[in-house]
Amino acid sequence: MNYLLPERLDRLAREYALGTMTGRAKRRFEKLLRDAPPAMHAVAAWQERFSVLAAGVPAMQPREQVWSGLEQRLFTPAKTAARGPLQWLWDLLSVRTLGSALAGIVLCVIVLRSQPGLVGLETPSETLPASYVGLLLDANGKPTVLANSRRHGRQMTVKVLQPLVVPAGKLARLWAFPANGAPFPVAVLPRLPAVKESVSFTLPDESEKLFANVGRLAVSIDDAPARPGDAPPAEFALSGHCVKLW
Amino acid sequence: MSQVALRDRSAFEQLYRATSAHLLGVAFRILSNRDRAEEVLQEAFMNVWNSAGGYNPGVATPMTWLINIVRNKAIDAVRSGKTERNSTVALDDEGMDVADADGLQPQELLDESLVKVNIDRCMSELNPSQRQALALAYYRGMVHTDIAAALNAPLGTAKAWVRRGLDKLKSCLEAAGLAA
Repeated sequence: MNYLLPERLDRLAREYALGTMTGRAKRRFEKLLRDAPPAMHAVAAWQERFSVLAAGVPAMQPREQVWSGLEQRLFTPAKTAARGPLQWLWDLLSVRTLGSALAGIVLCVIVLRSQPGLVGLETPSETLPASYVGLLLDANGKPTVLANSRRHGRQMTVKVLQPLVVPAGKLARLWAFPANGAPFPVAVLPRLPAVKESVSFTLPDESEKLFANVGRLAVSIDDAPARPGDAPPAEFALSGHCVKLW
Repeated sequence: MSQVALRDRSAFEQLYRATSAHLLGVAFRILSNRDRAEEVLQEAFMNVWNSAGGYNPGVATPMTWLINIVRNKAIDAVRSGKTERNSTVALDDEGMDVADADGLQPQELLDESLVKVNIDRCMSELNPSQRQALALAYYRGMVHTDIAAALNAPLGTAKAWVRRGLDKLKSCLEAAGLAA
């Protein structure tokens, strides 16, 4: 099919520029865009036409942190960028804890690679992969709960690897430990299912906002829900590292 | 824009200050969520900084180029958000909530825009369904199946409405001397 016939090209270009072209048709057209200047100009002409439709959109002043965040991401000293994507993780770990952290991460990756369905991770072709993964161990170092969520998701899925006893009248609460800051309660866990079963619950915010700087997760067994600002308990039933996979 | 391409931070900030409010408005119409719209805005300006050298003034005006970056990112974000909602048990309904903070619906945004560029009379030859389909595609980033569902119409009809809207937009702009 000759996509460069003017009428056909115009029809494809407007669908592409409007955003109604999807899937394989979109990929084919993007290839054409790279190779054929007339296609690029046809799309540009439609984008120019569509820009008039933005004329009536009311402006919204972004909050100042959008700019400050942009500055931070673009112009922070090169030292930070050159340290590598996982450097923040190493910063969290002392020499003494390095071994256990590595063991946890390796085990976590093995579980994820060998049985993605076990933790509710769908194949990449179907859904977005999980970004944040936490493997929580009990006091004996036995993996008990695997938690994961998508980078910009608000859902956390918890997979029970071995029973966690929550006595009647008490509740299990998830805590996050940021690298630089006080621990904070994330959410009360829903009633945990049987071993090898998963349960999902809604996070108070996007994972990226909650866990971007979090290196450790923990679960406490408490009498009542925590209030914002409450200090974490002295003991945790479960604890483990939180890793950002991508 | 040329200064931004030369990595002039001051020019970059001026560009951001001059355009970010309008661009956030564009992203917000598609995402219906201020936080997500601001994330998209930030990501878009990351792109602007990193790819300003690729901007070609002979192809698009700076604002058209910026709107295109923001709109594409917002559409990607709303579609990936929909994928996530479809694959999780508990749904939040932010994506379903299409009411804007200022109460303006896509049809009203279209009307406002057409009046501003003075092609409202020409575009009034479209029937309400054709106008609504065009507005949902542009301001909500909807694909044909979404538009058909939203307007309770067969897919082929929804496609025809959008097509007719686009044909009319092109001819009205040409008649007004606003675009080639």
